[in-house]
Amino acid sequence: MYLLYSLRLAIQSLWREKWINVLSVLTIAAGLFMIALTFFGVYNIDLATKKLPERFSVMLYLNDGLQEQEIDGIVTALKKNSSIEMVRFISKNKAMEELRTVLKNADYVLEGIDENPLPASIEVKLKQALVSVSGVKNLASDFRKIKGIEEVEYGEQFLHSIYSIKTGANTISLLLIVIMSAGVIFVCYSTVKIVFYRRKDEIETFKLLGATRGFIRAPFVIEGGILGVGGGVTAMAGALVFNYFLLHKLAATMPVFKIIVFPSEIFVSLPLVGFMLGILGTLIALGRIRFY
Amino acid sequence: MIHFNDVSKFYENNAALRNVTFSIEKGEMAFVTGPSGSGKSTLLKIIYFSEKPDQGSVNIAGWELSKLKESSIPFLRRNIGVVFQDFRLLDNRNVFDNVAMTLRIRGIDEEEVKDRVMDALKIVNLRHKSDSFPRMLSGGEQQRIVIARAIVGEPTILLADEPTGNLDADTAAGIARMFKDINAKGTTVFVATHNKELYRNTGRRILRLDSGNLAGEELS
Repeated sequence: MYLLYSLRLAIQSLWREKWINVLSVLTIAAGLFMIALTFFGVYNIDLATKKLPERFSVMLYLNDGLQEQEIDGIVTALKKNSSIEMVRFISKNKAMEELRTVLKNADYVLEGIDENPLPASIEVKLKQALVSVSGVKNLASDFRKIKGIEEVEYGEQFLHSIYSIKTGANTISLLLIVIMSAGVIFVCYSTVKIVFYRRKDEIETFKLLGATRGFIRAPFVIEGGILGVGGGVTAMAGALVFNYFLLHKLAATMPVFKIIVFPSEIFVSLPLVGFMLGILGTLIALGRIRFY
Repeated sequence: MIHFNDVSKFYENNAALRNVTFSIEKGEMAFVTGPSGSGKSTLLKIIYFSEKPDQGSVNIAGWELSKLKESSIPFLRRNIGVVFQDFRLLDNRNVFDNVAMTLRIRGIDEEEVKDRVMDALKIVNLRHKSDSFPRMLSGGEQQRIVIARAIVGEPTILLADEPTGNLDADTAAGIARMFKDINAKGTTVFVATHNKELYRNTGRRILRLDSGNLAGEELS
């Protein structure tokens, strides 16, 4: 009964202050759309960095003159290591062969070299979950202790850069999300505060007639929730348009955009996020209702 | 029903009430009178928990004001019907909705709201004005709507602050009769007024306030 009446009051108020409310919905939508874009960015950076470890490997260069038995011993020991996904032995000849393939038409640079200067090596691919800056560093240090291994090489700088980019992007995104969320809360706060002051006399009368805090708050909370959901739905529409025109249309002409993904969870959660931020803004705006 | 014991109320350094002590019994009808600024409205505001006294103790319908939690105030206010000096009618709602507000706040079923509002409007003879808006009514009619709103919740105490302020003598007499009828049904009625006609020859108790002091008590 009480909630139905509160809903009626909320709808009446939304209609009475329709222009303020339309502006608020649009502002909330802009904030939520930017939050969605930030999530979209983080999601794609995360996706890209997740794919990189698949290609990541550590090269173990062997001492010259190792016997086949010794090499087999090293390979077997590596295969037993639970952190390692794949082990591939590359002989001196194979290394030269691969170099010639890489150089293709420029293999003239190898002319005049009588003796194969390349060392035999073992390529080690690590399990994806273990590819982290510190994890790889520790493993490399363990590999160096193995007898017969002269040098260990892994793209330390490359790995470091990837993780720095990921951490940086996450931090900036988190900051942006917090700022945008605070903005959405502030818009709801301001709108409800304006409406509250416009209805101050009416609320005072309600209090004198015996209205509880819940009865006074309910229409405003509903109104804040509706504003938030309205903003969320509008932002969702914006995100869908963005997804369709920018990604689908652009991907058709520029295939590089095909790797970019717009996760559907973002679309679905926008009205819910709007609703929660709207209610939070309203509750802050209403504060503690006093009866004296 | 209403007990004030040595109650004082100050606004900054000015005393609105000073060491006021009195009691109104259950089912009694009494008046408080005095010139403008004597503290009549402050006294009523303390009774309906709109102001807190700075000194002394107040007991309303068994509730000690100093021990009252703020969250209990709405429930206690529902036992008190108030006829406000400034009416406090909502201009954007019609007469029915203004009166119904008292019941809707309590979560009463809409069917019952309709019956009780129409009964209250019948008592004040304004049933035919239920769809009108307050600004379309005369001062006397607005005052009767306020009375209907005050009694629709069947309060145990009815307070009225200058209920005949700007009304002509005939309308004022009609309102005085209305209070008498409401009191006859068992409601405690306490009226703040400086209109002598309202209490003359009623045989009721009159409290006289002067500059916040209770200057005297007599029977009219």
